[in-house]
Amino acid sequence: MEVRPVLALRDVRYRYADAEREAIAGVSLTVSAGEWVGVIGPTNAGKSTLCYLAMGLAPHFFGGRLRGELTVFGVDTRRQKVAERSTRVGLLFQNPFTQLSGARERVSEEVAFGPEWHGLPADEVAVRVGEALRLVDLEALAERHPLDLSGGQLQRLALASLLVMRPELLLLDEPTSQLDPAGTNALLQVLAGLHRSGTTIVMVEQKLEAVAALCPRVVALADGRVIADGPPEAVFADPAVEESTGLPAYARLAKAAGLPPPWPVTVEAAEKAFHRA
Amino acid sequence: MARGLSLYVEGDSPLHRAHPFTKGVLTLSAIAVAFIAPSWAWVVGIGLLVICLQLIAGVFRRFLVVAITLLAPITVLLLIVQGLVNPANRTVVVPAGGFSLYREGLLIALLTAARLVDLIAATFLFSFATRPQDLAEALIQKGLSPRIGYVVQSALQIIPQTLEMVSRIQDAQRARGLETEGRLLTRARAFIPLLLPVVLSSLVATQERAMALDVRGFGLPGARRQRYVLPDSVGQRVLRWALVALVPAAVVSRILGWR
Amino acid sequence: MNLLNAFKVRLNTLAIVLIPVCIGIDWAGRSIDKALNLPVFLDSIGTVLGGILAGPWVGALSGFVANFINAGTVDPIAGWYSIVSVGIGFAAGIAGYLGWHKRPGAWVGVWLMVFLTASIISTPINIGLFSGQSGVWFGDGIYTGLVKAGLPTWIAAYGDEASVDIIDKLVTVLVAIFIYQGLPRRYRSLFRMYEPADSEGEERAPARA
Repeated sequence: MEVRPVLALRDVRYRYADAEREAIAGVSLTVSAGEWVGVIGPTNAGKSTLCYLAMGLAPHFFGGRLRGELTVFGVDTRRQKVAERSTRVGLLFQNPFTQLSGARERVSEEVAFGPEWHGLPADEVAVRVGEALRLVDLEALAERHPLDLSGGQLQRLALASLLVMRPELLLLDEPTSQLDPAGTNALLQVLAGLHRSGTTIVMVEQKLEAVAALCPRVVALADGRVIADGPPEAVFADPAVEESTGLPAYARLAKAAGLPPPWPVTVEAAEKAFHRA
Repeated sequence: MARGLSLYVEGDSPLHRAHPFTKGVLTLSAIAVAFIAPSWAWVVGIGLLVICLQLIAGVFRRFLVVAITLLAPITVLLLIVQGLVNPANRTVVVPAGGFSLYREGLLIALLTAARLVDLIAATFLFSFATRPQDLAEALIQKGLSPRIGYVVQSALQIIPQTLEMVSRIQDAQRARGLETEGRLLTRARAFIPLLLPVVLSSLVATQERAMALDVRGFGLPGARRQRYVLPDSVGQRVLRWALVALVPAAVVSRILGWR
Repeated sequence: MNLLNAFKVRLNTLAIVLIPVCIGIDWAGRSIDKALNLPVFLDSIGTVLGGILAGPWVGALSGFVANFINAGTVDPIAGWYSIVSVGIGFAAGIAGYLGWHKRPGAWVGVWLMVFLTASIISTPINIGLFSGQSGVWFGDGIYTGLVKAGLPTWIAAYGDEASVDIIDKLVTVLVAIFIYQGLPRRYRSLFRMYEPADSEGEERAPARA
């Protein structure tokens, strides 16, 4: 039975306006429903651009030149504007503060901002706002002013503002890079819950340990191309990945201790590997 | 951190409960008639009416402070200049050769000042008793583009944040040795070192903010026109039309020789 | 370069986000100006900068809303000059479209356009509200002198306003252009929202709402 992929790229090339080299230089990739894909790579590998492409910000927001086939839920991204896509796809950025609308004075109103633009009736909006706040565990702060929240809470608020539209595909561009460990954990827990309920997640992350622990599939990018794609142990056993991006701490430890590849990439796997050794 | 910018004072008077358009039309009509009416009686009458409303809404004292601060310097200037050179000047009141002050000019200056009092009073009546978001909501319900409504709501938050940033940057630059007092040239030289960091900080996030808004569906044409209900009534609608009608009535009367 | 193209700008999300930022800069300029006790107004720097960066509509809206909010929160009298702010924003936007802020010496054009727009639009409002005066000592002194010299009040009123505006707008425009030059290059091109007069199709198209 053929299931339509959520995200499908076929030989996609993308160059930003006024840029010399292509940010994405021939990527073919398919993401199926329910997957949690971690995207890793060095700076300027094209990880953020991949998110922008899936969301439609490239090319609609940035201009630039897009070649190849790129569909999200079967729809060519060139044909659909970003705002129209927002009922099925969400994109969470790094900076918790800049994702605030800046025009609402209460957390609940902030979450309602998106549905209002989509023309949803008031009672439906109220239901969805409650639902979204529960998902990110911010119900207790519903009546607070958004600027009263901490960075981690704001990032969860930003996520709630996306979840309120019940997206089937969630894109995340280094969502924890500006958060402290507690904030990071809280956010990742929410994501794990979403994954369990069937949301497809594509997450760009620099914290390799988190990627290895949470993502059943890892895609490694470098210079706008995919250099590895598979389960974490396989990807991190690839010397090209190690060279361009690095390894999770446990793998580095195992490698340094002389264990043979594929190295363990999670705590549990490392414990077992060291026991056996 | 600074909250939204507004003069709104919490309260529960009939004025607070009135629809924003009712208050808006009241303000504009009062100002228009005050400036069109030729005689003192009307100007003072409107002033008293507005002040009564202010007392009902509980905002009179604040208005007084602002009115005096804004109007004192202008009134002095008006008195001097109009007293000196108003075309209708005939009767000398303060003899001083070529710099004599005339009665007609002084009276006109006072009339102008009184009209400005009416203007400030009527405007503050509106500002003190109306929540900015209620005004924005009313306008959007009537057809204002929600994106423009967004501009106003966003500005109301950005302004106090920017002013706070100015204050922080002032402290930081002063600590680095920037001179902000002394001769005019010294002070003038401090302007750009104080403003440029504010501009840079403010612009830094604009691209990201725009992307984040797009991702949430900003600008979709089907945006919901009504976020919440603003209480209105037939009586208020009638009142609004009556107030609006006052203005052309005043203009016509003036043309027909109203003194 | 077809001047009408300057007005074919569509306000996309980026423009909409820029406007409140320009409004904030308007207010910041005024606040710093007061803190330093300078003898000029400098409350339109954001409006002019917005016009230069992103065209007449952004400039005009920034000016209007900045003024409108000022009227409702600080100075009700200023609200009646909102149309002046719209004019300033438009003028700066047109000058910006024509690139006058970039060519050496052409900044004079920006200044003149902004100055003329401001002074011409302000004068009738002054006549309506203040019997022709501008409310500034320096300018009103000129008004008195001009009337005493026998000129009709409306000319004196223009002389009054112009004498105040000419310096004020000079400083405003110079500061705005200076700040523009001080911006990183990507900001300067980021906000150019015009329909490209020499369009190459999707290559150079900036964001569409």
